[in-house]
Amino acid sequence: MSKCIIDGREVEFTPGQNLIEVAKKAGIDIPFFCYHPGLSVVAQCRMCAVEIEKMPKLQTACSTVAAEGMVVKTKSPRTAQNQKAVMEFLLINHPLDCPICDKSGECDLQDNSYRHGDLYSRYTEERRTYLDLDMGPVIQKNMNRCIHCTRCIRFGDEIAGIREMVALQRGNNTQISTVDGRALETDYAGNYADICPTGSLTVKDFRFKKRVWFLKKTSTVCEGCSRGCNMEIHQDANVIYRCIPRENMQINKYWLCDEGRFNFQYVNDENRVVAPMVNHSVSDWGLSIDQAKKVLMGKKIAVLVGSDLTQEEGSHLLEFLPKHFPGSPIFHFGTPGLNTAEKDGDADRILKRKSKTSNLHGLEKLGFQGFDKMPKEINAVLVIRGGRAILPDLKGLVAVGLGVFMAPQVEEFSVILPGTSFAEKDGTIVNYEGQAQRIRRAILPPGQCKGLSEVLMMWVNSKSSSGAA
Amino acid sequence: MGTKILSKKFYNEMIQLEPRYPTKVALLLPALHAAQDEFGWLSPEVMEEIGSYIGIHPAQVREVASFYTMYNLRPVGKYHLKICTNVACCLRGADELVSHCEKKLGIQCGETTKDKKFTIMEEECLGACGTAPAMMLNNDYYENLDVVQLDELLENLE
Repeated sequence: MSKCIIDGREVEFTPGQNLIEVAKKAGIDIPFFCYHPGLSVVAQCRMCAVEIEKMPKLQTACSTVAAEGMVVKTKSPRTAQNQKAVMEFLLINHPLDCPICDKSGECDLQDNSYRHGDLYSRYTEERRTYLDLDMGPVIQKNMNRCIHCTRCIRFGDEIAGIREMVALQRGNNTQISTVDGRALETDYAGNYADICPTGSLTVKDFRFKKRVWFLKKTSTVCEGCSRGCNMEIHQDANVIYRCIPRENMQINKYWLCDEGRFNFQYVNDENRVVAPMVNHSVSDWGLSIDQAKKVLMGKKIAVLVGSDLTQEEGSHLLEFLPKHFPGSPIFHFGTPGLNTAEKDGDADRILKRKSKTSNLHGLEKLGFQGFDKMPKEINAVLVIRGGRAILPDLKGLVAVGLGVFMAPQVEEFSVILPGTSFAEKDGTIVNYEGQAQRIRRAILPPGQCKGLSEVLMMWVNSKSSSGAA
Repeated sequence: MGTKILSKKFYNEMIQLEPRYPTKVALLLPALHAAQDEFGWLSPEVMEEIGSYIGIHPAQVREVASFYTMYNLRPVGKYHLKICTNVACCLRGADELVSHCEKKLGIQCGETTKDKKFTIMEEECLGACGTAPAMMLNNDYYENLDVVQLDELLENLE
C-alpha cells in the first residue's frame, strides 16, 4: 500500500485517490465547496488548497492525486491564510441572511466560514444582487447566495444527463439559470438542492417548514421502486418533513429521484384512512374485524398482497392466509402491467425502475404469484398492502382493505383496516439485484393504524369464526 | 420543430464547416456567428434552432452566447460602436470617448438610438493595446482615436 504524510501522520491510499479523499479516510477534514465525490473535479473554489512540500505554490487537494511520500500540510499558516482569504472573497457578495435562510444549519458556506473564516470583512461596497427567475415546481433559486461552485451544472450534465442549468454571463456577473426561467425538466431536481453548498437552491416543498436542526434522522430505504435507494427520513414530532438521499455506492451513490424524495407525502396526507371504517363510517377495531369476516363469509375470495410489503409481512401472510382463507388464490400486485419480476427493468438511465413498488422481487422469492386477471368465480377480495402498490380494478367485488389507503381510492370498500406505511414499520425489502435492505421505523403510526402482525393476531383471536367459506 | 428561421445559406455553411471540427458541438461558435451575420443579433428562437441543429440543450447555447460579448443578445443599431475600456485604452482616454459618444448620441452605454442607427457598448480588451484607445465599428477597427477623429467618423456615418 502506498503511503503519504498528511499533517505529520502516515496515511495509506490507493493510487489515483485525491488528497481530499485520502485525508478524509484519516479523519482529517479539508474544506471545499466545488468538489463533490460524485461529480467531475474542476478546482475552481480554491478552498481546498493545501501546502505540499517541494511544491512552490499551494495545490488544490481535490485535483491533486496523492503520491508516494508526499508531505501535505492542511493546517499550516499558509493554508489557513488561503482559506481565510477564500472565505472573505466568497462572502463579499453573499448576503448575511443566515437567520432567514433555509439552508442555515446544514450549509457548507456557513460551516466553513465558522471554522476557517475571519471575523471581519474589509468589504464596504454594495453587494451584487439579482432578480430571480423561476426554476419550476421543485427548486427555488436565490442567486444572491450563489458562490458559483457549478456543482448543479455538473450534476445536470453528468448525472441527470441534461444541460438545462447553465452559467449565464461571466466573471462577476455570472448567473446560474435555466433558459428564461424555464422549469427544470429532470426528474432528479431535488438533488440540485442537496448538493448546493449554500442556500442558493432549496427545495420548495421543504422551505420554511422546519429549521434543520430540529429534524430527527432515520436511515432507511426508499420504497418508490425496485432499486431500493438508500435515504434518510427527517421528522420532528412525528411529522415527516423531507427525505434526502443517503450514500450507498452500490445502489444509488449520492442521488435520489424526485418521485422517491416526495413519496413520503402520502404518509401525512389528510385523506389517509387512519381509523377502522365499516361502510364509510368510523368503527372500532374489534367490530370492524368482525364485520370484515362477515362480509367475506361464504364468498369466493381472492387475496391481493401489495408488493410494497416487507419480507417479514410476506412471511406472516404465507402462514396466515392458507390457514384462514383455505383455497383462496393469493396474488401480489403493485404496478399495472408488471406482474412478474422478470418484466421489471430500468425505467431511465439513472435510478428509476419500472416496478413502482419496493419489494416485488422479495415477494416473488417468497413464492407469491403475480396478479394478472381476476379469476371468474371470485366475488370478494381481501387487499393487503402498504401505501404504494397501485390497486387493480375491483369493480363489482366485495372488498376488504388492510393497509394504507386514501379515502377516495377505497369508496367501494366494505371494511378498511388501517395499516402502516414504510415510514412506520421496520422490515426487510429485497431490491431487483436480490440485495436485502432494512427499512426502519421513523415515526409512530397515526390515529389507530396498526402494524400487520398485530392486525393478524386480532383476526385470529376475534370471536367470530374465520372468514373463509 | 416548425418552420425554420435560419436560411438555407446558413445550413449550407454549417454543412461545409462541419468536417473541420472534431465534434459537432464545436460548430456552436461559428453557427452563432453565422446566425448573427444573418439577423444582426441572436434571438431566443434562433438560439433554440441552433441548439436543436447541433443537438444540445438550448440552455447550453444561451450559456455560450452570453459568455462572449461579441454575440448580441439584443437587437443593435446599424452602426455598432464597441469602445475598449480596458487598462491600456482607459489610460489613453477611452472613458472620454465613451462619455463623448453618450452625449453626442443621447444614449447610455448598452443602449440603441431611437432611429435604430447607433448602439454604444463598452468592450473588454480588443487586443489593440499598442494602438490604444481602440474601437470597433461593426467589424472594423479604429485605433489611436481621439475625440476629434471620433466626431469626424460619426459625422461621416450620419
